[in-house]
Amino acid sequence: MNWGLILSNSVYTAISANAIAYMLVATGLNVHFGYTGLLNFGQAGFAAIGAYSLSIPISRFNWPWPCAVLLVIVSAVALALLLGFTTLRLRADYLAIVTIAVAEIIRLSLNSVRFTWLTGGNDGLQGFTSFMEKLNPFPQQGIWLWKQKIDGYRLWLLVSGWVLLMVVATLVYLLMRSPWGRVLRSIREDEDAARSLGKNVFAYKLQSLMIGGAIGAIGGVWLVLDKQSSQPGDFATTFTFFSYTIIILGGVARVKGPVIGTMIFLFVIQFVDISLQQATKTTPSDPTPLLPTWLIDQNNYAQLRFMVAGFALAALVVFRPQGIFGDKREQAFDVH
Amino acid sequence: MRIDIAKSPLRKGAGVLGLFLAVSFALWTPSAQAAQEDGTITVSVVERASGDNGQAKNPVAGVKIRVQGAAGSADGVTDAKGLAVLNVPQTGKYDVSFDVTSLPKGVAVSSDTKTTASIDFSVGVSVGTGKSLSFFVGSDTRATRGRWGLLPQTLVNGIKLSLILAICSIGLALIYGTTGLTNFAHSEIITMAAMVTFWFNQNGPRWPLLLAAPFGIAASALMGSAFELRVWRPLRRRSTSLTSMMIVSIGMAIGTRYVYLFFFGGRNRRFVQYVGDPEIDFGPVGITPRDLGIMIISAIVVVGFSIFLLRTRFGKAIRAVSDNSDLASATGINTDRIILLVWALGGGLAGIGGVMLGAATGVQWDMGNVILLLLFAAFTVGGLGNPFGALAGSFVIGMFTELWTWVFPNVVELKTLGALIALVVILLVRPEGLLGQKERVG
Repeated sequence: MNWGLILSNSVYTAISANAIAYMLVATGLNVHFGYTGLLNFGQAGFAAIGAYSLSIPISRFNWPWPCAVLLVIVSAVALALLLGFTTLRLRADYLAIVTIAVAEIIRLSLNSVRFTWLTGGNDGLQGFTSFMEKLNPFPQQGIWLWKQKIDGYRLWLLVSGWVLLMVVATLVYLLMRSPWGRVLRSIREDEDAARSLGKNVFAYKLQSLMIGGAIGAIGGVWLVLDKQSSQPGDFATTFTFFSYTIIILGGVARVKGPVIGTMIFLFVIQFVDISLQQATKTTPSDPTPLLPTWLIDQNNYAQLRFMVAGFALAALVVFRPQGIFGDKREQAFDVH
Repeated sequence: MRIDIAKSPLRKGAGVLGLFLAVSFALWTPSAQAAQEDGTITVSVVERASGDNGQAKNPVAGVKIRVQGAAGSADGVTDAKGLAVLNVPQTGKYDVSFDVTSLPKGVAVSSDTKTTASIDFSVGVSVGTGKSLSFFVGSDTRATRGRWGLLPQTLVNGIKLSLILAICSIGLALIYGTTGLTNFAHSEIITMAAMVTFWFNQNGPRWPLLLAAPFGIAASALMGSAFELRVWRPLRRRSTSLTSMMIVSIGMAIGTRYVYLFFFGGRNRRFVQYVGDPEIDFGPVGITPRDLGIMIISAIVVVGFSIFLLRTRFGKAIRAVSDNSDLASATGINTDRIILLVWALGGGLAGIGGVMLGAATGVQWDMGNVILLLLFAAFTVGGLGNPFGALAGSFVIGMFTELWTWVFPNVVELKTLGALIALVVILLVRPEGLLGQKERVG
């Protein structure tokens, strides 16, 4: 077992561009669920819309990248408006199911053979990251984080991503401290009370949906920039559910919740995964792996991290709903 | 936070997890098992003569079949049923061909007839050491049916899907009605039955499907009851909010699903029986005996369960708890017992659905999750928590899904899309669902 590599790789995973994508998507979800109390189960749909609004115009129609980035925001807001006008009139449990349905409609359409000419179907789209490579100020050979090599492009995504994340997190922090943010919380706590004070609850919910959705779409962009490929399989419903795990882990309705939650979540997942990978590995010189093959082998060790993630979500909600750093008064779980 | 281990649901949860692990261990088969065994290839030669509906199939006897592969070859002649069973030394890759000159007089080979095919034991849906394939001779007249000719078949497929959805979603609706929980782990209860049945059918005692199925259904009912006793009842006692419980069920569903994948593998596998049976013709539609059985049994279960809900004491008690839990409790109904009954019944019904789904489309680790969204669509469209609404919703969603393939035959892979769009549109027009009660909403 190469513990140095395992640890450095797990640490890198917790702060990488991929982690930043999760942090952004979860921050968006935190605006919906944590602050406004909207049970949005379709956050993966926002991320997918963001990712494909970048990749389709650039790799299919050669748009300049600032236009594509603009489209990312516009289409996220459009999806929020569509979702809002259709579902915000519904009860919370209906809202959950309709948002899942809409996210799946988006993913299935992106996956469809019918639209391969546009979306690339199951194989997805590549070749939309050259603008980011051109902007990269770091040398191509990159740096070493202990035993983990980070290439120049990933380092650039990491640094620029953290700057972007800080800007977004600060904006969310300021927004939630403003009178506008206080109205959102009052809607979460008691919608009828907010309405009786003359607040237009529907409009506030719609604005929350738009802002959180746009942040989620930017998260989707970072996800596909890191992978250098946008594939519909990345935007399945589990992506949304892991975002819930993340914000509950880090503390609901806290700005740093999604950031800390992502770091813990991805560190644990990656640590479990890569340790098992090492423990089940066989080499020609050493044909017996560390763990017996009747228990676990090369073909099925990868499932263990998802078991951990799933049962961890259930256990967290039962035993520590305020997360690790959360405030119990801000649980936001009693969404009606 | 201090956790009292002895009393905490953690220990109970660990018990449930242990149960899953034990059952899943039992399901687990070493993947390399089939590699060295002898294999059999069953070849059938069928004449597609143009009968009344262009579908009549006649077996062709006396046709010479040759199987050739790296490990050896085998020859055979088809019998009166048009079948030839060939034993091959190893389960590997084989090329199968038939001798065109040995066809009896009057049986012609048309331009679209394939005379060779290849078989690979390591791929495909059928498990074990037996493989089968069919050669069709005569001209294919199926395509001449036209768009409207295909409609009856589509409707039959729609009814089949609707009935399976109905069986699975009644439990979902009853659980929602009595406890308020949207149970995302229902999909894993469905898969559980199919997996346990598969074990009894294929790995363990190798019983026929009809004998193995009750054990699978019982496993699902047990799983539902265990969930209620070990997870949901303690959570209700702690007055955990419904949103939290919904998220707990999501976590349990994801975790359990990957336990299945860990032990069962990612392949789609078939039960031993009822694979590749010829269709029975009913005028414009052809139904395999398996699908006919699925439809008849589901219809009986659905009708029987409706009568149970409407007429029996327990059924009335369930509906009373569903309507108003406090009032039911005040009239002397033991609500906890009724809720346990609902979980056992809902789990058992989901199990029946799971076995049928497994027979129809194969057993797979995420088979429940694949139809979960359709189930949610069905029970949402019908009006949350109303079992008869779930029935109606299942028919709307099932028919929409299959009719989508008829209206848009070239986007078949998007057939779930039709159902989801139907869900969104129906909720826009009728936010409380088809049979739901009007409630003031935001």
